[in-house]
Amino acid sequence: MKRVLSIWLPQLPLDLRRRKEDPRVAGVFAVMSEIKNAWRLTHLSDAALAAGLSAGVSLPDARAICPELLTEPSDPVREAALLRALWRWADRLSPWIALDAPDGLFLDITGCAHLFGGEPAMAAHTRERLADMQITSRVGIADTKGAAWALARFGGPDISLAPTGQTGAALAALPVEALRLPQKITSDLRRTGLQNIGQLTQIKRAELARRFRLDLTQSLSAALGHSPDPVSPKAADPVYAARMTLPDPIGFQADLLGVLERLTSSVCRRLAGDGKGARRYYLTVRCVDTGDHMLHIGFARPTHETRAVMQQFRKPLDDLKIEFGADWFRLEAAHIEPIQPFQISLDQHKQAEDDTSKIISTLGNRLGFDRVRQFMPVQSHLPEREFVSVEAMDRRAPVSWTATPRRRPVRLFRRPERLVTLQAGRPPKRFQWRKSIYATREAKGPERLSAEWWQDDSGALRDYWQVQTEDGPRLWLMTYPGSAEPNWFIAGRFA
Amino acid sequence: MSVVEIINRRDVGTLASFTLQAREALCLAGPVRLAKGRVHEALGDSADMFAVLAASRLSGPIIWIGLSRDIGSLAPTALQDFIDPARIILTEGISRSEVLWAAEQALRAACAPCVVIELSNGPNLRESRRLQIAAEEGGGIGILLIHGRAHTSACETRWHCEASNAGENMWTWSLTKNRKGELGAWQVRWAKPDKSGGAYEAGVIHLAAATAA
Repeated sequence: MKRVLSIWLPQLPLDLRRRKEDPRVAGVFAVMSEIKNAWRLTHLSDAALAAGLSAGVSLPDARAICPELLTEPSDPVREAALLRALWRWADRLSPWIALDAPDGLFLDITGCAHLFGGEPAMAAHTRERLADMQITSRVGIADTKGAAWALARFGGPDISLAPTGQTGAALAALPVEALRLPQKITSDLRRTGLQNIGQLTQIKRAELARRFRLDLTQSLSAALGHSPDPVSPKAADPVYAARMTLPDPIGFQADLLGVLERLTSSVCRRLAGDGKGARRYYLTVRCVDTGDHMLHIGFARPTHETRAVMQQFRKPLDDLKIEFGADWFRLEAAHIEPIQPFQISLDQHKQAEDDTSKIISTLGNRLGFDRVRQFMPVQSHLPEREFVSVEAMDRRAPVSWTATPRRRPVRLFRRPERLVTLQAGRPPKRFQWRKSIYATREAKGPERLSAEWWQDDSGALRDYWQVQTEDGPRLWLMTYPGSAEPNWFIAGRFA
Repeated sequence: MSVVEIINRRDVGTLASFTLQAREALCLAGPVRLAKGRVHEALGDSADMFAVLAASRLSGPIIWIGLSRDIGSLAPTALQDFIDPARIILTEGISRSEVLWAAEQALRAACAPCVVIELSNGPNLRESRRLQIAAEEGGGIGILLIHGRAHTSACETRWHCEASNAGENMWTWSLTKNRKGELGAWQVRWAKPDKSGGAYEAGVIHLAAATAA
């Protein structure tokens, strides 16, 4: 006979914060989520329950009842990650474990319980271990998944057991909600006066099915063990990696590339089969004398092309110093993302984009991705703050530039360069800059720019002049107004 | 952009008549010609504008390669009159050899129709030959901005670009070396195209025929 253990984690979002030593959980605190267009409390701390709040209350009502209530929206991603971690942890109890999102686990414990000294001891052991990790839990053990689930949630004590073959009797007293049915069916059941599962089992199945359709009877027969409902274990995340161990160390470039090709084609075939690509690849080379060396390459877009990976690895592999050979290799793909296939001949724009990301990858892998950059506009009136450059790999969405109302130089010096005034004036009539002497023919200005007072390092007020010199170049001269002896700088050069 | 030939004007007919192979499509047509699949050198104060105006005639990304002190001063705010700054991919090398390596890779990759390379001194014969071969493979146009001195090189053309003091957005481009054609000098003026909705369309700037021709 199958035995199933269901773990319910009723306070998972609170436990998550408690484990992070969040001081709010000790006080009046609740986690809320948006249900039917309203923020409602879902998980409440003990102090919040004592203050008269309950789950399902909307946030405005809760604030009215208890003004000192602290709330936080739920974080499904982190909660799922914690549940997943517990799913991995639970394999110490049984090898056959299924996730029961969002807040439970199913363990098929057939033949496992005697290792822990019987079912009650095993349930107690489970709760204790979880309590050690500051996680509140309730446990139900029964012959079927449905019954174990119902006992964990609606059984009286924290540990509820249904002895083998007595599922029906154990469930009889539980409310109809314990059948895990849609809200509509349970409310219909309650309206017809059916309060608990025991009452349901006394009615003929055909009549139930006619009134409430097959969902109810299916759920009921699964819970009572009349129809099979096995625990199907969740598969681990696929790992896209390949490893190769050699009997003798190798060191020739051609041999290394041969090994790399085998590893790459294996990893890439698996990625391609799943319609995925990786943005990063890590190759570990274990040299016999110097230990592990980690080589890594990146791509501007996810890829699963063997040739591209090989080509990018060629250079770091070339740089690697192998004196006595290497005998262990492992290639791992990371930052896995799905790839949408596209038709090459019809989508030339896409093809061009693909080529661009290829050259960004090539340049970035050799020079470093921080040195392949693109411009991004910034809202500011100061010439040096009007734009920033971001890593080309990071910039996914296209940007739009709006034309500036003022004329700006093509070359803008980050640090304005001091000039030597030869003949004073405003701006100087003759001056020396970068070993050349220039004479001002006409000047336009000043354009006075005040600093951004809301910035910490806002700097001083400055005046800019557009100067057309006799010999050709148009320069952008800058000075700080108000100083007794004006210092002049070249801020930029116009086209 | 309109072009007025000012100095050393030879017969425009000879300029237009030199034979072109099929793959040598032109980037700049009209009296000022710039062959694709070739590397061109630009010197002088307005060399960067020469590169920008050539790039404005092409669509696709512009890979701008140089040392950090050179490309760090490039300001996209002013460039947006001529090209869409989002097209520029800045690539920063820490040494001349890295810059030249990146230039070769970029020229060889067919994705970039325009690669701008900033160098402190001009390439020698060997370096320029390699760049030239890469450009021929990729079919794009390479423009070398030389801040210092130019050396004997395998580049297709060499231009001296100065801002003209006749007015704003006017330049004097003089062709001082041309492996396949005549030399010359032109006064180039930027005629601002009508920008509708802030969108940049490649090739909207037309080189008018030389008024003198």
